[in-house]
Amino acid sequence: MDRRNFLKRGSAAVAGAAGALSLPVLSSCTSEAEAAGSRLEGKKWGMLIDLTRCREGCTACMDACREENNVAYHGDRRWDVHWIRKATLHPHEESAGLEEKEVLLMCNQCDEPPCAMVCPVQATYKRPDGIVLVDHHRCIGCRYCMLACPYNARFFNWKENPEWPNKEYPRRSHGVAESCHFCAHLIDKGGRPACVAACERSGAGALIFGDLNDPGSEISRLVAAGGAKRVREDFGTQPKVYYLGL
Amino acid sequence: MDVQFAKIEGKSVGYWVTVSILAAATIAGFVATLIMNEHGLYLSGMTNRVPWGLQISMAIFYIGLSAGSLVVSGLYGVFGKMEYKPFARIAAYLAMLFLIAGLLSIFTDQGRIDRVFTKPFTYVNATSMFSINPALYSGHIMICVLYLWALFKEKGTLTKITSLVVVLWAIGTHTGTGAIFAFVPRELYNSALLPPSFVAAALSSGAALMILVIVGLSRATKRHLDDDLIIWMGRRLLSIFIVVTFYVLLIENAHRAYLAYSREAGFFFLSGGVHSLMFWVGLIFIGCVVPAVLLFIKRTGTSVPWTVFASVLVVVGVLFERFLIVIPGLIHPPELFPGWEIQDAVIWEGVVSYSISPLEVLQTLGVIGAIGFAFVVGLKVMPLAPLEARVLPAKS
Repeated sequence: MDRRNFLKRGSAAVAGAAGALSLPVLSSCTSEAEAAGSRLEGKKWGMLIDLTRCREGCTACMDACREENNVAYHGDRRWDVHWIRKATLHPHEESAGLEEKEVLLMCNQCDEPPCAMVCPVQATYKRPDGIVLVDHHRCIGCRYCMLACPYNARFFNWKENPEWPNKEYPRRSHGVAESCHFCAHLIDKGGRPACVAACERSGAGALIFGDLNDPGSEISRLVAAGGAKRVREDFGTQPKVYYLGL
Repeated sequence: MDVQFAKIEGKSVGYWVTVSILAAATIAGFVATLIMNEHGLYLSGMTNRVPWGLQISMAIFYIGLSAGSLVVSGLYGVFGKMEYKPFARIAAYLAMLFLIAGLLSIFTDQGRIDRVFTKPFTYVNATSMFSINPALYSGHIMICVLYLWALFKEKGTLTKITSLVVVLWAIGTHTGTGAIFAFVPRELYNSALLPPSFVAAALSSGAALMILVIVGLSRATKRHLDDDLIIWMGRRLLSIFIVVTFYVLLIENAHRAYLAYSREAGFFFLSGGVHSLMFWVGLIFIGCVVPAVLLFIKRTGTSVPWTVFASVLVVVGVLFERFLIVIPGLIHPPELFPGWEIQDAVIWEGVVSYSISPLEVLQTLGVIGAIGFAFVVGLKVMPLAPLEARVLPAKS
């Protein structure tokens, strides 16, 4: 065999072996992705926060979120990450008989997400089921999404996170951005967000999660009944988080 | 007119001291970036509420300064003012360096520097100004290189073409930079006037910097420079750029403060803290009013030292302007519940503050050091500076 033939045959053999090895892997990947795509298609996950049932001083949802998603807490308000947080609203005009009230704030899972629009590497993107999430292996940490989010719902890992309570879910390195993703990893296994489950366990049941595309779901019925509001709808971002009692 | 160019000697003590200081600054900035990259960006003054700080402000300042090439190549390549040809090489070289400085500042500010060279190329997002701008910036750098090459080789036609392309491309570059902020839904950002005002301030600072570089270089190398060239640039260009910048800023702020939707944010910008002082004193008074008056008054406007002084003020004023583009829009909270104030929470709500950390200062000095080094060394290894620059004799 001359050198030319050897190279020809050699490379053919290598290519063949590589092909034989990679084909099943590739096809399984594609079918998995297709199956996942069809599973997500047609769904539109949403959350309804019933503030009339949310209890003062209760932190069940926030604690559950931190435990489930390994959300970084450093004890410093400048760098702490909060996927779901409580805030107190104080009326500008007290004379009007309005009183202070507590609200829960989280990523609004916008249908027109400005964060995904500005992400230069498509690390933040919207899935077919409407969930906006971050690929932490792709994020370059430019923090443009944090500027673009009009709800201050996006956070950055300024420091390494020392805690890793849930080994089933990755923790993030410093240098990447993140926000609530409706516990997409649990939804994919047929579950629901950790905060929703925790709120129900606590007895309050203030968080209602479901498919907004399914007219029979509890959330769809509550939204259709009227009275549910979204934060600054005039931004045009089409939030999928609704509030009762705002 | 045949313009002669020559390398500078670069053997004096002053030259070597300058080179050493710039090299030391570069190393300091490099080390600061390494430390931040290792431990996290919490070592900067940035927070979850103010995710962009000094580095981005400086980045857009540098990118604006690169407009000097736009001014000079516009005069020479587009309007045929041949007496400005002596400065074309320096302008093109500096524009290239300032764009690199801008990119360096943005690069060192990223959370995952290790991914910057791969991810943005594999996953382009056509709706992100941060995807579009790198194309504009790298294109600008490449055009400057081509322009510089055409100038070095004295390629007449190519020089004409590239000098026109540089002008058009630079307008795109500066518009795109302004659009990073203008296309973001925040009350102090989303103004359609922001890109044009960015271009106007870029022209002001770019022209002012060209005046400083040309005069500084001629004094340092003892090469002849006709005063009239500088005075014309000051009185006929810089003064007009300042007025246009002032005008656009006036309209932008009046519009914001007038409309009920953005009134609160508008007043916060104009009278809400240190940034308001920067606006009125740093930008409006020092950066616009004083230099414009100095340039318009005949006695000061026709004096080179006064023109240089006015140029320094303009550069300082535009530095404030860049900081004011980035920071106030972040420290001012978005109004999530109109009629209600978010009082207490686990994160910083309401108006927050931003202070620059020492490492950020070192990073900035590092970028200035790196491009300063490249500029000073460039003058020694390339024939960038003209042997002399004179006003053309009037045609009879």
